[in-house]
Amino acid sequence: MTAPPASRTAPPTVSVSGLTLRYRGTVALDDVSFRLGEGVTGLLGPNGAGKTTLLRILATATPPDRGALTVLGNDPSTVAGRQAVRRTLGYLPQSPGFHPGFTAFEFVDYVAILKELTDRRQRHQEVRRRLDDVGLADARGKRIKALSGGMRQRVALAAALVGDPSFVVLDEPTVGLDPEQRMRFRELIAEAGQGRTVLLSTHQTEDVAMLCHRVVVLDRGRIRFDGTPAELTAAAEGRVWSSDAKAQGALAGWRTGTGEFRNLGDPPGGAAILEPTLEDGYLMAIDGAAEGAMA
Amino acid sequence: MESWHVPEDDLTGYAEGSLAAPRLWSTETHLAGCAHCRERLNTAVGTAAVDAGWARLDAELDAPRPGPVESLLVRLGVADHTARLLAATPVLRRAWLGAVVLTLLVAVAAGHAMRGGSALMMLLATAPLLPLAGVAVSFGPGLDPTYEMAVVAPMHTFRLLMLRTVAVLTTTTTLSALASLALPSFGLAALGWLLPALALTALGLALMPRLGPVVAPSVVAVAWLTAVSLGGLWTGPTAAPFTTAGQCALAAIAVAATAAVLIARDRFDSSRHMNARVRISAGRL
Repeated sequence: MTAPPASRTAPPTVSVSGLTLRYRGTVALDDVSFRLGEGVTGLLGPNGAGKTTLLRILATATPPDRGALTVLGNDPSTVAGRQAVRRTLGYLPQSPGFHPGFTAFEFVDYVAILKELTDRRQRHQEVRRRLDDVGLADARGKRIKALSGGMRQRVALAAALVGDPSFVVLDEPTVGLDPEQRMRFRELIAEAGQGRTVLLSTHQTEDVAMLCHRVVVLDRGRIRFDGTPAELTAAAEGRVWSSDAKAQGALAGWRTGTGEFRNLGDPPGGAAILEPTLEDGYLMAIDGAAEGAMA
Repeated sequence: MESWHVPEDDLTGYAEGSLAAPRLWSTETHLAGCAHCRERLNTAVGTAAVDAGWARLDAELDAPRPGPVESLLVRLGVADHTARLLAATPVLRRAWLGAVVLTLLVAVAAGHAMRGGSALMMLLATAPLLPLAGVAVSFGPGLDPTYEMAVVAPMHTFRLLMLRTVAVLTTTTTLSALASLALPSFGLAALGWLLPALALTALGLALMPRLGPVVAPSVVAVAWLTAVSLGGLWTGPTAAPFTTAGQCALAAIAVAATAAVLIARDRFDSSRHMNARVRISAGRL
């Protein structure tokens, strides 16, 4: 886990308040408010929680029905404000698409042109630097269709970082990567978080544990937790216990490799309390929300 | 061995690239013939300058090679970055061009198989739909693989859309004109598709901020086919849209729709319909 940067006390670079969006009759986001500062913040939530919708609003791809959003002092609901936000933005969509037949260099160069880097020589140097940064120095001239999934994802990250944006939105970038690729990608995201505000959406608690100084849990369109990963872990303190048989009344319980059950919820008296993990805290945050919803 | 050598200041200036003519020329000429001064030049060039030079060269080695279309555009005076965007328009792909050529061939062949005025109608009814379909293909979510990135880029969505529309109109107009040559007996009437093509494209663009990049061209296409059918599709070039009055009306529609597009240009960036949520499968290339 990275230490919280000193800038946590600095003014937020991104501020979101009361964001609400309905999508085909259902509420995709319900009164979402939070602030982001420098460093990597994790946005954790199950599939369908509204993570992508929230990121698309932050990336100015779609406007919210209600609510206010400010990125580095700019309001994307105005024409000039939206342009200003887009000039400071790096966006890696959930499933980045590529033009067929483009090489890695050509693709990042194309995105650099869309980002208004018009001076050919400077643009080419910037593209080269970004591809080198993500470890693709030897694959710059290779066609994207010949690259592995992990390498393609790195090309997309290079495209997101081209032009040195100060606010970077990454939508589930570690999905579909094998453990080694995922580890390498986490290193790149940690590097990208130096001096930038990075919002990383994921449904993997390890991503958050290893990368983020802060975590926001989103479930069914609402914020369920906002704090440090240590605080999220602590939320399950005293609520994880082991037993020989599956405990009645536990929110979740499963047999571990040792043959004992690991239970999550309100422990019975005298239960053997276990040290919680970040995953326990996350499950408590979303299951607690489910309980609340049922009540 | 020569008795005169390049003064230190000139050599440093040459190494830094700051030496001006005519001293630059004399230094360059001397360096070509004097191994001693070339040796001194090696030490005069700082490592930072060498690194920067190498970085520039290295970047250019992998830089995109302009294709024939892009080279032609640059030669015609189009800025290199604009040429790149034009050349990367999805409709310039072989699959799209193949589909356009095939459609025109079928239209002309079907025309030849028919008799009288209806021979031309297949082409006149079909050709205006091609640029409309091209605009939908080149900007539709799920059709342009980089749509999601393009939409949030600081470059105005409107500018990108216009660039792509120009690419679409140029290719389809050229190909349709070639197809018209296959029907020489009709003379100028064989070019009756041109004004409808412009009108439909402009109308499709004008409706886009309201209806989205796929629905808007589709609605216009259906309206066109209805108008052509009701206007006497099988009566030949005398069908309503291809009479002088019809062509004048279409020209007026083209001008009005173009004006509407220009007035509403900011809405292309802000409209939710332009940015409808899309999902593009990860492996799609």
